[in-house]
Amino acid sequence: MSTRGSPRTYEPRVIRVDTARSVDNACVSSSSTSPTRTRRPSATGVRAPSVQRPPVGHPPSLPPITPTTFPRPAYLDRSALRHLLQTEPPRLPGRTEPVTIRVGSPGHSAGRSRRRSPSSDSDEEDVSPPRELPPTTPSVLLSSSPILRLPTRWSDAYRNDMLSLSYDGRELIYHGVSSSADKDAAAARTIYPIPPACGIYYYEVEITSKGNKGNISIGFMGRDVKVSRLPGWEKNSWGYHGDDGSSFAAEGRGTPYGPEFGAGDVIGCGIDFCQNRAFYTKNGTLIGPVFENVGRDCDLYPAVGLCHSGESIRANFGHEPFKYAIEDHTRRQQNLAWDKIQSKPLEWPPISGMKYENGAEGSKDAPSGSSLTAEERVKVPINQLVLSYLAHHGYARSARAFEAQCKSRGGLSHVDSLTRIPPPISSASRSIHDHGMDMDDVTSGEAQEGDIELRTRIVGSVTTGDIDTALIETQTHFPSVLEREEGLMLFKLRCRKFVELVLEAAELKKKMKMEESEMTMETEYENSDVFKREWADGMDVDDGASPSLYAGSMVSNGHGASSAAIPIKAKRKQSFASSQHSWGAATALQYGSALEKAVQYGQILQSDYKDRPEIRAIFKRTSVIMAYDDPLEAGGDAAEVAGQGARVALATELNQAILRSQGHPTHPALEKLYRQTAACVIHLALLGVGTAAFADMPREFLDA
Amino acid sequence: MPPKTIIRREEWERRLHDVQVTKDDLNRLIMDYLVIEGYKSAAEEFSQEANITAAIDFASIESRMDIREALQRGDVHEAITRVNDLNPEILDTNPALYFHLQQQQLIEHIRHGRIQEALTFAEAELAPRGEESPEFLSELERTMALLAFDSSSLAPSAVSELLSPAQRMKTAGEVNAAILESFSQGKEVKLVQLLKLLAWGEWMLSERAEFPKLDLQAALPGHGEGMGEDEYMHE
Repeated sequence: MSTRGSPRTYEPRVIRVDTARSVDNACVSSSSTSPTRTRRPSATGVRAPSVQRPPVGHPPSLPPITPTTFPRPAYLDRSALRHLLQTEPPRLPGRTEPVTIRVGSPGHSAGRSRRRSPSSDSDEEDVSPPRELPPTTPSVLLSSSPILRLPTRWSDAYRNDMLSLSYDGRELIYHGVSSSADKDAAAARTIYPIPPACGIYYYEVEITSKGNKGNISIGFMGRDVKVSRLPGWEKNSWGYHGDDGSSFAAEGRGTPYGPEFGAGDVIGCGIDFCQNRAFYTKNGTLIGPVFENVGRDCDLYPAVGLCHSGESIRANFGHEPFKYAIEDHTRRQQNLAWDKIQSKPLEWPPISGMKYENGAEGSKDAPSGSSLTAEERVKVPINQLVLSYLAHHGYARSARAFEAQCKSRGGLSHVDSLTRIPPPISSASRSIHDHGMDMDDVTSGEAQEGDIELRTRIVGSVTTGDIDTALIETQTHFPSVLEREEGLMLFKLRCRKFVELVLEAAELKKKMKMEESEMTMETEYENSDVFKREWADGMDVDDGASPSLYAGSMVSNGHGASSAAIPIKAKRKQSFASSQHSWGAATALQYGSALEKAVQYGQILQSDYKDRPEIRAIFKRTSVIMAYDDPLEAGGDAAEVAGQGARVALATELNQAILRSQGHPTHPALEKLYRQTAACVIHLALLGVGTAAFADMPREFLDA
Repeated sequence: MPPKTIIRREEWERRLHDVQVTKDDLNRLIMDYLVIEGYKSAAEEFSQEANITAAIDFASIESRMDIREALQRGDVHEAITRVNDLNPEILDTNPALYFHLQQQQLIEHIRHGRIQEALTFAEAELAPRGEESPEFLSELERTMALLAFDSSSLAPSAVSELLSPAQRMKTAGEVNAAILESFSQGKEVKLVQLLKLLAWGEWMLSERAEFPKLDLQAALPGHGEGMGEDEYMHE
């Protein structure tokens, strides 16, 4: 019964003796706590035998079903959380327990925990105890990348024994000797419930039985609904019945809904989590929405029920094309959901419940514009949002042009408030500004623009590797930046300077080697083995010695200055040929002195910070680049330390440090806005708010 | 309503940190705003400084803004001429927009006390359109009501608001959107959509959970709170 593709040997199942012919939910529950339930530690990776209820009334001992994998159905791409939706559990080494994650939801905690005991060594959820686990705190349930499993097959345990299941888990055949329909109803549900983050979930069922006119129900059920009843009869179950075309929602008498269906028909069944309503299709045609509050209080599993011998169905969980154009359907619903969110006019500030608590509808706070619509009023803060973003990242010319245009625009009478960005406030006077939006408290625009440009220049010089300029300018204009956290920023900049020196040397070395190789072609000079061994013995960088000190000793030991390389363990095959040759000599000399300079700087750094273990760790990581010929192409750590990405990261850090020293936020408001919005929407989607699942932020906002 | 879950600040910060968004992404949001709202020179500078391209040519921003400015100063005739220069199909295929422009023209006549012209214009241009649709007719009636009051301060607000700058901006916004649509450019600013989504999302979530809200006003510069923040932008 593996739902996974990992190869394993078949092991006999432990068959529990059970005399009860009609096995229902109660038995399923008890089986899990039954003493016959055998478990053995899975530390060795051996699969524990799983427990199975007695196969009564149909061929015993089904061979293990071959797991069927298929890609996620295309219609699910409409969900903003599509990347979390998986048709098959991933293979996690050393972990056999499928982890199903559910965001804690106040309304849903009791009676619907999907989590199973972490000690369970089964790979099938069917044998795990349905009893409740201690409630887990909701916050930990949302890991940064929860996996949401899609229903892909009928459960082997949560099915009535009169139904036999095909190898691929999609086909069910009724084997019971049927007499009266009601008594012998047999239902099954899928292994995994439907993740509400789908937005819309849809599956189709083909009635494959021959001839028999049956009473087949197609729909949904909760986790522990009796499998001896048709979906729709019990609480937490919903069904569309083929014999009379009625819909049933926890009731014995149905409501007329759609056409009857029977052998040969394909019935589609969907749930739209935007309204928690179901919908059905018949042979590719939409019948319409039905039921209210589907799945609001329970997990929702696709479910079918059959009543007569010979009846059979085959489900399509998306492994093959659907009859109904579900992709179009989902796209329409997504657009509707988006329009709904966007239909309300924007107020400022845009957070309801926070600023509107006192009943003030925002208009009271409007600066001057009683004649302005809400739409116009929000333009001012939006412009502030934009301008502060431009200033934050140092787009000085854009910021200036934008500000000028805002000012010249007629309809906005209070654009002068824009000049507050970014006011150069000393930390001493910050408290005044903290008290809120005072429109009169405007600092002159000219001074600020100078600030932006200065900051941009400093940050820019880090990006281009000119650390000296950055150090000097920061020292001159923002000395507190270098002093904070006992000079952490200063140290980081100096570290970078060291890296730049090493890179300079490496560049010269490359040049030198090029010249050498041209030479080698002429002179056919071979390395001597003795020479190589000498390098290998003395210069192993693995010995724990500080690479910089080591490199320093090399410089002073004689060959360094004229012919040496930074010793490279991995790339030791070097031609040390002919550096004496006249046209290599100049470069070699330059290289020697560059290397010496780098090493000396490294030694100074080392000694300046020798009493600061926390800082030495950073330095240690930095100095690894000494071990490479060409750190930029070395890949891994070295390239990470040396590359342009590291410069940009440091520049960003310095930018934030300067902004912070001026009392500005370290992240632009726009970025906070985006992150806050995304966090809310993702959380809502995981809670089962379908509209949120369809609010696909990357698609709406980021795709070009 | 069941009790709300509480999401602690550290947990929330971690989720904020996990959100995937880059500086380039945000730059595009900014560019979208500059283009749609017609900040031409800022858009040009930004396209250089941030090294991104706009999906629209900058010259069209200018003509769009000229039209907007014409409407904002009350020169409807100029605006109509320029829209037709840009693309005659815009007004041809958009009867409601054309009606609103003519209505604006009527308002401008009344504003300047050109009563005779207003009446002639209404009779020749607007009355026939009023027969086309009930919506046009009621708008025409509302506008003509302006004539019944000596001073707009005496008129009911539904009537007097037609003379406000907001009415001009509304018409200008409608024209702007129609032009953008003719370029198959999104007409609603993504930044505004984002703000609406935030408002919706925080409201929906606050019904289900306690979590740290974003005080956007405070997040704007000049309001401190920059100290000791988590760093969540991964470059």
